[in-house]
Amino acid sequence: MTIGTFILKNAMRNKRRATLSILSVAVSLFLLVTLLVALRELTLPPEDIGAALRVVVRSKISIANLLPAKQRPIIERVPGVEAVSPFTWFGGTYKNEGGLTFGQFAMDASKFRTIFGDSKMPEEQFEAFQKDMRACIIGKLTAEKYHLKIGDRITLVGTIYPVTLEFNLAGIYSGTIDDRNMFFHHKYFDEAMGDMGQVGMWWLKVRSAEDMPQVITTINNTFANSSAEVRAETERAFQLSFTSMWGNIKLFVGAICTVVVFTLILVSASTMSMSIRERFRELAVLKALGFRRRELFAFILAESFALAMFGALIGVGGAYLLYTFGSVSKMTNGIFITLEVTPKIIGTAITVAAGLGIAASIMPSISVAKTSVVEGLKTLD
Amino acid sequence: MAENIVTIRNLSKIYRQGEINVTALDNISLDIRAGEFLTLMGPSGSGKSTLLHIIAGIDRPTSGECHVQGIDVAKLNESQLADWRNQNVGFVFQTFNLIPVLTAYENVELPLLLTRLNSKQRRHQVNTALELVGLAERKTHLPRQLSGGQEQRVAIARALVTSPSLVVADEPTGNLDSQSAQDVLGILQTLSKSAGKTVIMVTHDPKAAAFGSRTIHLEKGELSN
Amino acid sequence: MALPITYNIRNVFVRWRATVATIAGIALVVAVYMIMQTMAEGLEKSSQNTGDPRNIMIVRKGSTAESSSQVTRAQLKEFNYLPQIARDAKGQPLLSADVVVLVSLPRRDGSGEANVLVRGVSPVGMDLRPQVSLVEGRWFTPGKREVVVSRRLSPRFANFEIGGKFRTGGKELTVVGILDGSSSAFDSEVWMDADESRSIFDRENYSSVLVRAKDDAAGKEFVKRIESDKRLPLLALSEVEYYAAQTKTAMPIKFLGNFLAMAMSVGAIFAAMNTMYASVGSRTREIGTLRVLGYRRRSILISFLLEGAFLSLVGGVIGCLLALPLPLLGYSIGTLNFETWGETVFQFRMTPMLAVKGLAFSVIVGVLGSLLPSIRAARLPVIAALKSL
Repeated sequence: MTIGTFILKNAMRNKRRATLSILSVAVSLFLLVTLLVALRELTLPPEDIGAALRVVVRSKISIANLLPAKQRPIIERVPGVEAVSPFTWFGGTYKNEGGLTFGQFAMDASKFRTIFGDSKMPEEQFEAFQKDMRACIIGKLTAEKYHLKIGDRITLVGTIYPVTLEFNLAGIYSGTIDDRNMFFHHKYFDEAMGDMGQVGMWWLKVRSAEDMPQVITTINNTFANSSAEVRAETERAFQLSFTSMWGNIKLFVGAICTVVVFTLILVSASTMSMSIRERFRELAVLKALGFRRRELFAFILAESFALAMFGALIGVGGAYLLYTFGSVSKMTNGIFITLEVTPKIIGTAITVAAGLGIAASIMPSISVAKTSVVEGLKTLD
Repeated sequence: MAENIVTIRNLSKIYRQGEINVTALDNISLDIRAGEFLTLMGPSGSGKSTLLHIIAGIDRPTSGECHVQGIDVAKLNESQLADWRNQNVGFVFQTFNLIPVLTAYENVELPLLLTRLNSKQRRHQVNTALELVGLAERKTHLPRQLSGGQEQRVAIARALVTSPSLVVADEPTGNLDSQSAQDVLGILQTLSKSAGKTVIMVTHDPKAAAFGSRTIHLEKGELSN
Repeated sequence: MALPITYNIRNVFVRWRATVATIAGIALVVAVYMIMQTMAEGLEKSSQNTGDPRNIMIVRKGSTAESSSQVTRAQLKEFNYLPQIARDAKGQPLLSADVVVLVSLPRRDGSGEANVLVRGVSPVGMDLRPQVSLVEGRWFTPGKREVVVSRRLSPRFANFEIGGKFRTGGKELTVVGILDGSSSAFDSEVWMDADESRSIFDRENYSSVLVRAKDDAAGKEFVKRIESDKRLPLLALSEVEYYAAQTKTAMPIKFLGNFLAMAMSVGAIFAAMNTMYASVGSRTREIGTLRVLGYRRRSILISFLLEGAFLSLVGGVIGCLLALPLPLLGYSIGTLNFETWGETVFQFRMTPMLAVKGLAFSVIVGVLGSLLPSIRAARLPVIAALKSL
């Protein structure tokens, strides 16, 4: 036997309590990890590899305001711009489902590959998409969700635009950060709308990262004081602008999460210190046998630490496995696409668990220090 | 004539119990010789357990001196005292106080975890101690699988394993049937007679006290004979 | 025979340290649950407060938000003089053709931009919405670039105070007044003159039309009339109905609230279980004594369940009290509205029903947590109970 096995045996002596303690720590840490990854996802949306070279141009009034189609040749002439495509959010409902279940964008099909270089799709599917003006391509996740296959017909009823569009599914792509969106020909959209001469946004690809600041400034200045002022920004900045829209609810949810974690930690700590308090007499015996206070503290600490770490292993490990290998979009009803359990989050959770282990051992340690051997021997179990 | 292992001079212990002061020990002086089997007798509340606790270094006197092997126990600090107990005193309790999750062997090994002995040396000492109390075959049993007498013998083995010169026992037979009590007392007697240990035992059973080489009576915190 | 309840209540306080931790745990769980619920309630209430039963709203068929709806001037002419519409003293129909534009504006704290709903209203628009009142300054003058902002939005966006100016659509707008929407959806809006709005944002059409029907029957007839007219791709429905359907935004909050409550209550149940097991363990002898005295197993079981329920009820009450300051102080919170894509501002709202829900929730946690320990207590054999030290 070593001190280690002694601590382990002691920790597991009341199996029911040890299990309950471990489980409550596990639940707390699972929750903590979940909230941390969700908050991270809200404040820091996942970044696409290709996003570094993409610029989004939207109306300065707001994203809901349209831009004149005649801006295109002007933007194309800006030095450093490799490709420009209109990018219009269609916002149609599919199969009468209440909410929008995936994004639908009208764009210049010939520019798709240049702008979204990270998408993967068989060559023949891409060619079929280019040729057929009524063709669309759809992300793998959405295709799976609705059991769609190449050749299927898809009907979208517009909620923003008063048209109903019918598409032939020409290709299924994957490999982007959000394999859920649908893309189709802007020409088809224009035709259906009777050439309104407006687009939702412009998305463009610049030649190199060095060109980026210049391109953004040039575009913003070009349309300043025109009837359709624009805001050009990197795709990253565009994505992050959404996080500001969440308003103070984000802060609020953050605060609630802190309370949640604090609560569970309080509860777990009290549970663990209870199990030690009930062994007062035994600790007194150990004292009589010659164990020093310091060693008893180490015992108590090691025991609650072991319980906390074991709980952390289950909670954090469980969260990691679930969010890494499980289907996040299915679990969250499409609210989140990915939930990445980063090393930093794991580190935070483990630190909290360690703090919890230490916190749980403080009260019993103080009591043990205060109680003399004689008093301790008198306490009944 | 053997030398004195314990020298007590003018020892007093006063407790506060709520509002009133209770004098547990009142100006006691006493010498205990090495190798003695001393029994402390007296009615409950007479201070016999308190005296034992002070000698064993788990309680502190209010005034007076208690030298054990020339060391004034009352002057040691908490951790010195813990070390001192580990090396010099073996404890036997009325309620055995074995750790329920540990086997007989592991319970005996427990005090040795505080020493620098390696596992081989530890094994040797634990086995010797268990053989001495006649429980060598029971070492893998948990306390609840043992009878009361066996549990107390494991407790004695635990007290002996560090080879202390002093063994203290507080009513060791209080929870035992008479046959087990005989066995336990026999072992304690052997310890003092053949192994040269000093044994101090608190009891209120005259039959148990008869096993000792000398008996001291306490009454209201004073030696009464 | 039942044990007196005082027996349990006293026992709850004997082990006060573990008890306090358990009660505190349950209190915080209930508080979080209640706060999320008061939030969802407040959000739903803001939709409910908005509609007036006498009003009828006309939007484009198929559009899900006012800002993406379109009613052309030609379409408006088809129905603006229908006899079912009530008239004012001068004989003009009580009708407001609104222009709703989503505008991205900088936040006051400099943390980026957010969308605000700017509603252009006809002069009659104010009369049709009596819940909206001016609390400071004056109303905008038609034909001028003036706006009135909501009292709730004022602290959230830069320059949203009387005299403040902000730019959008290449034009400068001046804030001349502050409105209060009495906890309706209008609390999240900026109002200005409809025609001025159309000119600034270059809008040909209106977004929606609101009319006051003469009476209930006339209202129904009006709705039928619009629906049967095949030339009009429009949808008419009562204003109350329109806003009642706008509940999408509350859903994620409810989802989060329920998820947190679920996960936390699992933790709380474990804690209650541990406390109760410890309580049963330390009272083994006592339970044996009670059994010897003639108490039945069932009395012991019920007694321990009551103890757990009492424990958690105390926690529940504290939790409800903890959640009370937010609704009482009228703290408002803003987030992205999934219908309008604008910032929506609402207040926490506590109702007696919610309080009852919170307390019931705490009692369920307590009973679930003490169920197994109580069964254990009831099953203790009499002799074993008496033997235990």
